[in-house]
Amino acid sequence: MATEAAARAGEYGDCLLDMRGIRKTFGSFAAVDGVDLQVRAGECLGLCGENGAGKSTLMKVLSGVYPHGSYEGEILVDGVPLQAHSVADSERAGIAIIHQELMLVPELSVTENIFLGREIRRFGGLMDYPAMHQRAEALLRELGIEGINVAQQVLHYGSGHQQLIEIAKALSKQARLIIFDEPSSSLTATETRTLLSIVADLKRRGVACVYISHKLDEVAEVCDRITVIRDGKHIGTRSMAELDTAQIVTMMVGRELGQMFERKPHTIGEVVLEATNVTCLDVMNPKRKRVDNVSLQVRKGEILGIAGLIGAGRTELVSAIYGAYPGTWSAELRIEGKPVHIRSPQAAVAAGLCMVPEDRKRDGIVPLMGVGPNITLSVLDHYARGGVIDGNREAHAFHHEMKRLNVRASSPMLPIASLSGGNQQKAVLTRMLMPDPKVLILDEPTRGVDVGAKQEIYRLIFDLASRGMAIIVVSSEMPEVLGLSDRVLVMADGRIRGDFINDGLRQEDLLAAALELPHRIDNA
Amino acid sequence: MNASVNVSPAPGEKNRMPGSTRIRQFFSQYKIVALLVAVALIWAYFSYATNGAFLTSRNISNLFRQMSITGMLALGMVFIIIAGEIDLSVGSLLGLLGGVAAILDISQHLPLPVTILLVLLLGALVGTFNGLWVTWLRVPSFIVGLGGMLAYRGALLGATGGSTIAPSSDAFVVIGQGYVSPATGNVLAVLILALLAYITWSRRNARQRLDLKVNPVWMDAAKLVAAAVALFVFVHVLNDYGGIPVPVLLLLGLLAVFSFIATQTVFGRHIYAIGSNIEATRLSGINVDRVRLAVFALMGVMCAFAGLVNTARLAAGSPSAGINGELDAIAACFIGGASMRGGVGTVHGALVGVLVMASLDNGMSMIDVDAYWQMIVKGLILVLAVWADVVSSGARR
Repeated sequence: MATEAAARAGEYGDCLLDMRGIRKTFGSFAAVDGVDLQVRAGECLGLCGENGAGKSTLMKVLSGVYPHGSYEGEILVDGVPLQAHSVADSERAGIAIIHQELMLVPELSVTENIFLGREIRRFGGLMDYPAMHQRAEALLRELGIEGINVAQQVLHYGSGHQQLIEIAKALSKQARLIIFDEPSSSLTATETRTLLSIVADLKRRGVACVYISHKLDEVAEVCDRITVIRDGKHIGTRSMAELDTAQIVTMMVGRELGQMFERKPHTIGEVVLEATNVTCLDVMNPKRKRVDNVSLQVRKGEILGIAGLIGAGRTELVSAIYGAYPGTWSAELRIEGKPVHIRSPQAAVAAGLCMVPEDRKRDGIVPLMGVGPNITLSVLDHYARGGVIDGNREAHAFHHEMKRLNVRASSPMLPIASLSGGNQQKAVLTRMLMPDPKVLILDEPTRGVDVGAKQEIYRLIFDLASRGMAIIVVSSEMPEVLGLSDRVLVMADGRIRGDFINDGLRQEDLLAAALELPHRIDNA
Repeated sequence: MNASVNVSPAPGEKNRMPGSTRIRQFFSQYKIVALLVAVALIWAYFSYATNGAFLTSRNISNLFRQMSITGMLALGMVFIIIAGEIDLSVGSLLGLLGGVAAILDISQHLPLPVTILLVLLLGALVGTFNGLWVTWLRVPSFIVGLGGMLAYRGALLGATGGSTIAPSSDAFVVIGQGYVSPATGNVLAVLILALLAYITWSRRNARQRLDLKVNPVWMDAAKLVAAAVALFVFVHVLNDYGGIPVPVLLLLGLLAVFSFIATQTVFGRHIYAIGSNIEATRLSGINVDRVRLAVFALMGVMCAFAGLVNTARLAAGSPSAGINGELDAIAACFIGGASMRGGVGTVHGALVGVLVMASLDNGMSMIDVDAYWQMIVKGLILVLAVWADVVSSGARR
């Protein structure tokens, strides 16, 4: 505790933000239980903890989502008590939050998003577009961001750029404290680099940052101090200089974490899925090819990783194979040598091909339904006779599956939306395993998932491969691709730029392949 | 070994469900109780205001018969709303199908079974047609319904030449005005009770066999006794006034079918899944368009039932039949707890919603409330009911 005292000593004087003894309860359950948190101007504080540890709740207290009075403890900004009753109140105090799920209005332009609610007006309430565009461009330039047309609708930009637009928006509000909630979860390696340099730049300008992330190497790089919370409790605040990532993990989980990727020996057999000449046209602009004449093969018991930067066409490729691409596409598919015609997910599942989609909230969970029914959704027919469900057999099945895959919920009828990301992901994965597929496509299988669940999912993937399933893993996390795959495809600009056997393969090799062509966002 | 206990909660997750959620769950579970309490209050008030005339078996019998038509529409509508859609054309379609029934019966002299079959078939076809616009051609259901509302009313005016077609054949009229003999009513009640008992018993057995949690005996027994009392009172009151009205029996039969579909079938589960997240449902390998098409087709069939009963009740096909019928049905679904955003709602809730509306209509007419006041009150009740629902469910946004 000596280090702790040292880390805190003399801080109260120059603290920009001082949260003391914050406690927030829901019924009898304390989501945050006596957490202290201090941030100085020009400092970046890392906030670490597993999913469900209380990080988000704490930040909602700070940003005014939970109004003053609904929690215990006090918040001081520049030594003055902050009693925010709304997000607007906390923003006035200079606190801005950048949520994991980006909060931009896709149909509005970049400029309109940045100034939403604080539009620069001319006489009569008219929007002063020239002034706003100019200011927006200046903001983006300050951040060193290129390739964004501020008059363009936000929906034309990927999540990487949207993140940067969010930061510009926060800065335009004169924010002195910016909270980043899992900022890099949907960013590519390059975009993450940009983000980290922007955070460093913000620090130099005296802006304080709170950086919440599961990616500890980023935390280690950009943060000066780290506060770890677990089960709502304050575990410790240390200076980054005296910690390494392994120690942070130990603080987070309260135990030593074993090997992340416990490879299980698996034999690779004959080709199960063969996709040739997959081409996908952009939904908005059919002249542009998102995937350009790509072919791939996966073998029995093989784990095929697909790496690439965001916008490279990975998700488009696998969703076309799964028959779910929203725009126009063409593909020739063979499963176990036999040609199959897949134009809908329904046909894909029937052909023995299942996919766990990238965006869990949008495409994965059926939020209002219980965890159990979510799991059996894809194979409800199996528990029915003449269309009538045998509720008991179904319940038996999902009880069994939840136990087998360690999906933790107090009741299988609890709406899945109320579970943690890790448990939601395991449930959605279980759902797509229920049809017993020959080929399983996993698009970003561990996005927004805590360390423990991540490890369980990796173990499951190896286990499935050893039982002969052919698995395709699309991931933006290079260590994940390298840790899981037998073979790695690298995509860039809708084409395959590299096909590697994963034997001594390094991140640098993948990145080099992905960057073969200069990465550009084409908005034409 | 109790399997539901085996699914042990995560350490940090044991109580992740905040108190407000638990209250919300209680309400959503017992929403129907709150609604029935509301109905009881309404009945108590009208009974007091009419010196008991409201609660005579004659009036209760009338009340149930009045609600049968809107009830049929609401049964179809609640599936539409759960699936996240809306159908504004049902009032006009009811009128059109009722008009067709009158033409087939009065002008064409077709035998009753043929008339019924043709009208039901036509209903299914028109419903499917609506559904095709929504699923295949991707026109929002609100627009399709709005178009249908105009077009079907127009078709009805064209088919009837703008005048009432009367009088219906005696056989036809029975659908809307007839009664089931008291003896038959009693037999039916006993049969239903026996069926309920059998279902409870076999479900207990199956759960035991599969190691699932079984309700305590007293709980199942209490449920059965409650059902028996409700059934007995219901049949007794209606028997006091000539027996169960045919349309009421028809509605109850359809209620059973729709409840069964909603809770026990793959189709029903898929409707809820689609309403809650259509994209996730589609990506799970479910043919969502086929499910939605079927929901619209079912709505058409329910319009046919409602149209038949309406024509039989009036003994005539009227060009103004079913005007605003869609609004009553939609209002009933929302009063009964369905959500605008889809994925939530129950069949019995929608019917209790209809009962609330019908009770207000009936009671206010009895105490001579002006027609304009009746509309204002019904409008207020709709908004208040949904507001109460929003408050109790703690839904944000």
